[in-house]
Amino acid sequence: MSTQLPPGIQLEKIDDRIMTLNVGPQHPGSGHMRLIIKVDGDYIVSCDPDPGYVHRGEEKMAEYRNYIQNIPHLERPVIHDSSNILYPYCLAVEELLGIEVPERAKYVRVIAAELNRCIYTLYWLAIYGIFLGHSTMFMWPAGDRELFIDLLEAMSGARVTHAYLVPGGVRNDLPANFEERCLRQVDYFEKRLKEYLAVFYKNPLLISRTEGTGILSKTDAIRLGTTGSVLRASGVDFDIRKKEPYDVYENLDFETVVMKEGDSYARSYVPYLEMFESCRIIRDALRKMPKSGSVRTKLKPNPKGGNDEVYKRVESGRGALGYYIVSNNRPEPYRVKISVGSFRNLICMPYLLKGELLGNMPSVYWSLNYWPVEADR
Amino acid sequence: MSTAGGIIRALNSGVKHLAIRRFTLRYPEQKLKFVGDGFQFNPETGVGIAGLRGRHILYHEHCTGCQLCSVACEGIAEAIGMVKVNETWKQNKKAIMPQIDYGKCVFCGLCVDACPFYALYMTNDYELSSFTKSALIYTPAQLAIKPKISQDVEIKVDDRGATHG
Repeated sequence: MSTQLPPGIQLEKIDDRIMTLNVGPQHPGSGHMRLIIKVDGDYIVSCDPDPGYVHRGEEKMAEYRNYIQNIPHLERPVIHDSSNILYPYCLAVEELLGIEVPERAKYVRVIAAELNRCIYTLYWLAIYGIFLGHSTMFMWPAGDRELFIDLLEAMSGARVTHAYLVPGGVRNDLPANFEERCLRQVDYFEKRLKEYLAVFYKNPLLISRTEGTGILSKTDAIRLGTTGSVLRASGVDFDIRKKEPYDVYENLDFETVVMKEGDSYARSYVPYLEMFESCRIIRDALRKMPKSGSVRTKLKPNPKGGNDEVYKRVESGRGALGYYIVSNNRPEPYRVKISVGSFRNLICMPYLLKGELLGNMPSVYWSLNYWPVEADR
Repeated sequence: MSTAGGIIRALNSGVKHLAIRRFTLRYPEQKLKFVGDGFQFNPETGVGIAGLRGRHILYHEHCTGCQLCSVACEGIAEAIGMVKVNETWKQNKKAIMPQIDYGKCVFCGLCVDACPFYALYMTNDYELSSFTKSALIYTPAQLAIKPKISQDVEIKVDDRGATHG
């Protein structure tokens, strides 16, 4: 082996049996990240995830922009879950600047967040399908995602990066007849969702590939600090929407989905069941929402936060997503720290892949609900 | 459930879709219908009016050349620059108006929120491709033109499934 290569690139040779494989950082199969996998025949001996290929310095960029100008770039890490990544930012800035949010705006925000969670989960499910070579499961969620993109486009005016939530409420009120249109499409979507069962989740080919692979026990899930669907698939009943309800989630009727198995199958099944709960939340929020009223508290131009710090977190499509913001009497934040679910779930990968077959790597990897761009921020 | 039975059930559930109408939008022939005339601002309530955030429209008779749209865009896309125009308006003594570079614009619409004189709105026009970079820079005169668009297709849901039509 050449000794001139930098440490990350160098391939270690341990003995004749063990071979090092680089999965990534090109896109197919890994996302924008690299997995350094050592294999003994077909079995994985060790796995070393190497993220950071799409680091953009979002946290540093936020220190040079005021609280409103931060909105478009902060949603870039997860463009198909953009309402949920802005949600904790808005909650934190509202507490920092002491803004009251109108009641109707809180419901509109919850609807936007749940629609966006479905968009994210469908996108994730489409990639999970194609990872396992199931191209029907790529086409169906990618097509049904259009139903929600259409609704959010009517709400916010953009198909992907919505920039809809702002500190103080939302950018604009719902369009006319939105409630009727939303209910019609959500009802249809629930019907479609049930069809996924026969073709994917009850498909013996999927079950044989995912059941019993990459088992994460309940104690390990807590010890490793995992979050979101990974934690709930290991039998821990923890959902921030239930445990630390923000905005109006405490008034809404939904349940936390928990599974005990902790294998790849459970981790892929929990987000699917959560989409039903999201539909339930949307329906309930539309019913309980005040029918008229203001949706935005206007901020002063260039609002200044005091000498203060605040931490807020929400349940995103990938787990807990929190913002820690420090301000020092200036229109720009002094420090913004984004704590993302993807990065916290990444740590399980060396534990889960040890001793697995190499062929099971894609199913374990993508079941962690990992989004490389968000993890790198 | 036996393996063979499960596979047959999965295939059957896919085969049923041969009889269901196509959901895909046939894009250049069909175009999606949007709510309203694009993202606008309501002076009475102080919030926006829902609509697609596409290409901007500039009302020259309202623009005062205050540069607030350009300031709002700083740090986001820096797509808006103020340019001299050969027009005389009572409210616009400096005779400057925004020029927007659509090679940089991210269509967040924060310039519309920032405009205190309701001169800058967004329209339903989203087909802005061109062969040169310079053609993406829209001058105030180009921004004043109301786009002509025919958008007629929306998602229809009935017993036989959803379709664009």
